[in-house]
Amino acid sequence: MNTIPIRHKWEPYLWLLPSLLLMSIFVVFPIGIVFKLSLSQISKSGVVGGWYGLENFRTAFRDPAFGTVMLNTAVWVVSVVGLSTLLGFITAMALNTKFFGRKVARSIVVFPWATSLVIQASVWNYIIKAEYGNLNNVLLNLGVLRSAVNWRASYQIEFAWECGVGIFVTIPFVAFTVLAGLQSIDDAYYEAATVDGAGFWRKLWNVTIPLVKPSLTVCTVLNIIYVFNSFPIVYTITKGAPANKTDTMVTLLYMRAFYDNQKGAATAMSVIGFAILCVCAGAYMMITMRKEEQ
Amino acid sequence: MRPSTPDVVARVNRRALIAALLAAALCLVALSLPLYGFSATVFAKKSGNTFVGDEKYQAVRAEVEEAAAVYAAEHGGTPEIVETVTERVNSKGEKTSMVAFEVREVMGRSGWAFMRSGLAAGWLLLAAALCLIAGLILLCAGLAGAWTVDWPELPASKRGLRRCGAALGLAALLLIPLFLMRCNVDFSRQIKLASDGYAGAGLDALLHRLDAFLYGGSAGENTLSLMGGVSYRALWPAWALLPLLCVYTLAAVIAAEGHPAHALTRGLLYGFIIALCVLILYPYYVMLITAFRSNAETTDMYFTHMFPTQWVWSNLRDIINRGVPRYLLNSLLLSVGATAIALLCGIPAAYAMARMRFVGKRAFLGFVIMSQMFSPVVLLVGISRLMNAIHLNDTVWGLMFINAAFNQAFAIWLLRGTFVSISSEMEQAACIDGCSTVSAMLRVLLPMAAPGIVTTLIFVFINAWNEYTISTVLISTASNKPITVGITQFSSFNMIEWQYLFAASLVATIPVVILFMCIEKHLAAGLTAGGVKG
Repeated sequence: MNTIPIRHKWEPYLWLLPSLLLMSIFVVFPIGIVFKLSLSQISKSGVVGGWYGLENFRTAFRDPAFGTVMLNTAVWVVSVVGLSTLLGFITAMALNTKFFGRKVARSIVVFPWATSLVIQASVWNYIIKAEYGNLNNVLLNLGVLRSAVNWRASYQIEFAWECGVGIFVTIPFVAFTVLAGLQSIDDAYYEAATVDGAGFWRKLWNVTIPLVKPSLTVCTVLNIIYVFNSFPIVYTITKGAPANKTDTMVTLLYMRAFYDNQKGAATAMSVIGFAILCVCAGAYMMITMRKEEQ
Repeated sequence: MRPSTPDVVARVNRRALIAALLAAALCLVALSLPLYGFSATVFAKKSGNTFVGDEKYQAVRAEVEEAAAVYAAEHGGTPEIVETVTERVNSKGEKTSMVAFEVREVMGRSGWAFMRSGLAAGWLLLAAALCLIAGLILLCAGLAGAWTVDWPELPASKRGLRRCGAALGLAALLLIPLFLMRCNVDFSRQIKLASDGYAGAGLDALLHRLDAFLYGGSAGENTLSLMGGVSYRALWPAWALLPLLCVYTLAAVIAAEGHPAHALTRGLLYGFIIALCVLILYPYYVMLITAFRSNAETTDMYFTHMFPTQWVWSNLRDIINRGVPRYLLNSLLLSVGATAIALLCGIPAAYAMARMRFVGKRAFLGFVIMSQMFSPVVLLVGISRLMNAIHLNDTVWGLMFINAAFNQAFAIWLLRGTFVSISSEMEQAACIDGCSTVSAMLRVLLPMAAPGIVTTLIFVFINAWNEYTISTVLISTASNKPITVGITQFSSFNMIEWQYLFAASLVATIPVVILFMCIEKHLAAGLTAGGVKG
């Protein structure tokens, strides 16, 4: 076994202590606070009162924007995770083949991952500006368009752009996780498949996909969580306007907590989001732990 | 590839050549047909308060048809009658229509006319035609004398000639969309800019050529105003060029390679990679050019350049005066601090997880994974309360700890993967020699695990550097803001100073992108070792 002898029974716990302490204070404690607050009455000035039962949750559910926002969140998570997984997978496949300039291409694909979301979102916000946005300018100057197009004609289109930016910044993460999986596949599998006369699609379906499936699963679950929690894109491009129609759960939560002074409703939403994440986290843990046992 | 008999080779070559010749000939035919139709209104009449088909409509229609006939008799050609129907409700509340008739003169211009016109679009078309013809000649030269030679045995010169033939076909194929785009620039963009008073360079020459091309030189001074009323569209022969050139290129590829599959997949691969890279780099290009424009240029809808007309370097000076160095320093402090804390706590934990056996290991692993799930956004309210309670609100220190804590899971994960992949034999030997566990780790394991540690370090650093959400909630004092929050001062609700926003963004982005490119190679390996493989 790849272990070393321990002198005292309690030694390992000493090694874990700093990490445990750090996470307990700054991760577990806030979770506790949020749960406590969600069940307490909170005044407009932020003073915490006594037990409030489920009143905060009732306020959250009665929030006029709640339905739209839940729907938006679902659309946001499904479209961003789904499409970025598909495109990221294709990108990883392409980056795994040998071609001239592969190193450069790999370095370029990393770019969106390394850039702050708020900066990416600001740039895209400028690109799609209706009057002077760079997209119109470039397309008109190249002659692709004959007349300027309003790229954000309605809030649905704006939301679609936000999803697009979400996909754009998520592709590198998927691509590199899948690439890691692809690189660990032994060439012998492909050689055997070639000898058996399998074509590209057969190899993809019967060799590649089963072997990168673990990477793909972990990456998808992580992605669901990251995308669900993603805040800067929506906040920078539309700030949820008009009337929370482009908000997702986390931006609505932020607005309610820090702009509209509804901390009670906001903490209730936190707990709801928390519950949704717990389901995802549970699924993720089961997958990882099962693999750990193998 | 299996060797082919001379018969088979000759058959494939014959078919490829026939297809290529046929496609090229049809291309030449298409070039002689009208590629673009131009139309301008020569007579217009409206008929209000009417219905399509009623008496009033019939009367106006007859009048318009007569005008069209007169025009045709005078000028020749076949004018087209266009009617536009607008539904409306009149003063009595009845639904009626308003019909607007237009007699439009339609004229087509063939490819040869384009090439003679001297317009930029014409040059592109000429280049495409020349590519096609040259490609055909090279292809024939490559086929001549090696008609029945199997592809693996093909002499390099013959193969090269055939490949050049295919490449020129591809070039012609790519030139056609450029031609179509350039037509929009010549016929519409330039005209619109000029009529709005934004005369571009070379406008006079363009108008002169358009005059000769469309009006036979008779329009003179009036070309600009006449062009304003001209509408145009690409006709089917122009679109037909695209599939025809595809067929030609494919045939040439088959003649060069024996079968198109490999060349096609390579082509698709390169096409995809190039498109992806262009898309990914596009926002960075926008950031770069906008950062060095003047404020007026950033919001100019008539801007016609790909780069700033004048690089405004003083934007950099302005952002320095507006606190950006302070924000960068804060970001640096907070990222370095967060990285240090995350690693100081993470390395021992990862070491214990990788090297020791103890009760509760699985529980801790579960705890680590769970904590990875909870982004600070959902906990914002709790975090800000906690920070208030321990007086770290609105300080860089608070951000340091939060970032370290929320990156802890990933750090432990990556580090543990690295440690597990290194054999423990050396450490065991060190332990037997009387080394303590701590010095065994410090002196033996850590030097070997350096690449993994550096990857983790950079990863945590970048995450902390790019973090925005918690900082925006926790920090209200300007001098404590990290750069991600600091740049938002340039985008207030009613005015966004794009040039400063992007100059600061650029400064904040370049170092981390470079750092990330450094670990890119290890990142794939690290993800496998840590997060993914378990």
